[in-house]
Amino acid sequence: MSDKVNIRRLASGVPGLDAILGGGLPEFSFNLIVGPPGSGKTTLAHQIMFALATKERPALFFTVLGEPPLKMLRYQQQFSFFDAQKVSESIRFVNLSDEVSTGNFDEVLARITKEVEASSPGLVFVDSFRSVMLEARHQPQGTLSLQQFIQQLGIHLSGWQATTFLIGEYLSNTDPHPVFTVADGLLSLDQSIHRNSMVRQMQVLKMRGQPTRPGMQTFRISSAGIEVFPTALVRDDNSAALEPVGSRRTKARLATGVPRLDDMLGGGLPSGYSMLVAGPSGSGKTILATAFLAEGVRRGEPGVIVAFEQTPSQSRTRTIDDMVRAGQVGLINTRSLDLSIDEIVHHMVALIHKMKATRVVIDSLSGFELAVAPTFREDFRESLFRMVAVLSGLGVTVVMTSELEDRYTDLRFSPYGSAFLTDAIIVERYIEIDSHFKRVLAVVKVRGSAHSKEVRQFEITDAGIIIGDPLGDYEGLLSGRATLVPPPIKVVGRAKLR
Amino acid sequence: MTTGKGNLLREEIRTALAPRAGLLSADANVEATAATWRLVAAQLAPVIGARGLEVLFDRALHLTSTTYRWLAVSKDGSGSADPLPSLAECLLRQDPATAAEASYTLFLTFTDLLTTLIGESLTTRLLAPVWGTAQESAL
Repeated sequence: MSDKVNIRRLASGVPGLDAILGGGLPEFSFNLIVGPPGSGKTTLAHQIMFALATKERPALFFTVLGEPPLKMLRYQQQFSFFDAQKVSESIRFVNLSDEVSTGNFDEVLARITKEVEASSPGLVFVDSFRSVMLEARHQPQGTLSLQQFIQQLGIHLSGWQATTFLIGEYLSNTDPHPVFTVADGLLSLDQSIHRNSMVRQMQVLKMRGQPTRPGMQTFRISSAGIEVFPTALVRDDNSAALEPVGSRRTKARLATGVPRLDDMLGGGLPSGYSMLVAGPSGSGKTILATAFLAEGVRRGEPGVIVAFEQTPSQSRTRTIDDMVRAGQVGLINTRSLDLSIDEIVHHMVALIHKMKATRVVIDSLSGFELAVAPTFREDFRESLFRMVAVLSGLGVTVVMTSELEDRYTDLRFSPYGSAFLTDAIIVERYIEIDSHFKRVLAVVKVRGSAHSKEVRQFEITDAGIIIGDPLGDYEGLLSGRATLVPPPIKVVGRAKLR
Repeated sequence: MTTGKGNLLREEIRTALAPRAGLLSADANVEATAATWRLVAAQLAPVIGARGLEVLFDRALHLTSTTYRWLAVSKDGSGSADPLPSLAECLLRQDPATAAEASYTLFLTFTDLLTTLIGESLTTRLLAPVWGTAQESAL
């Protein structure tokens, strides 16, 4: 049927918000923005308003008790989206505290009605309705109840062809306010504090007629306003998202930049694979990852590195510093401790697209786990899985490093159980031979490919990693206590013994 | 507070408060002050609320009374929302030239105060209709 109503969706002007809303804000919808104080409700409302308000679609912003309007104007100006040009041209602020203080909702509604009729706005904001609810206690008998008020307001406003936002504090999870039923859209904002980190999250609890992104979505407030980082979508069917992987996973192999390692991998790292390099501190994981990027640069394949540990100025990673400065490698270097994986993935994907990168290094997963806000650590494995899936969907080849605690009694590749997530694994170990620490490495796994099973000694020189010959004379290398294999017993004279 | 220094509205305030037909009298000054204040209130009260306006005005009055000590008394009135009657009373008791200067300083202080809170651009925008109307009625 072609005569179905076509709901226009307005771009909210908040990066990432339209994606989680399922395509934008439905025009003429009645929305609630709820959350505790300081969760960013007013900022979100202002950002949407300044993005959407035009001379043709003017906005009315009603301020009720709560934040004094002077303060609101003062602080909201700090955001770059605040455009003083638009104030009084396409945006009008109206203070309702006088009407609200009487506790008479008829008056409040009458005033809102009057103002809306006078200027026929396309956008209406009421900040905040929690204050309205508190005032309800002093309400005279026989007048509108709060619920009636909100309902009336909703009806009036949709009748006037306005996209409406009521901003308020969330009352309780167990007893949702009836207004939640009336609303077309419900956005819940939250900030959780865990130890020393603070994480902001929002959730679309309801948006009529649109496929919203489920779950909590992290967002950040900076001087530019709110930016939402939608959770990376991992599709479980074998269409769309997974398709490029198959097609891009050509039989091509990537040179790792470490002589002889390519041979051990069976001819290089298959394109589109993710490889885990696990080993104890100082065993040369970063150097191996750097060589991988440098080799890419040499072959005209740009790369991206997400560094959580060393700063680029540290001597070992100078090569990375040089490549970053030359614009051949994109760098995400972070030491903040309140990240969400989705935020990192968001930046990573953006940088990969920008650099047209085909090689990606994450150094290291251990640093990554530290950088992620404690709130997300519980789900770290799950998020890691999502991240690997997203990267693999992009068709890039990934090298991740992982700190491996030196334990000589068991053979482990990763503390996260993340080994199964990756297509290839290289493990590095320290061993003791003749009272000296030596480094060895082995290719443990290359999915769907033949590879060397040898444990090889290697050295780190100024020229990089130099892989030696297999240590044929020793056994028990990965346990750290290498022992010389006893020479075979000579069988000469066997016949004589008989 | 550096009253009036760099205040972009200096000229506008001067024009709005200028007595009609060039007559410098106490009555004319009070009338111009009251008219201008009503215009300012009409612009700002819907935006920042009557209470917000009152707080700003009280502060401006307080700051101005450090120069014009006799203005302080107007604050000790009934505490009603409309500060005009007691302000007018104070102004009428002074000679016209001093009263005019005090009114001017008061508005200058008030707009300065608003500027420090919400910035020059927003203050100018919000108050723009005041000066337009004041100029029309002054002509």
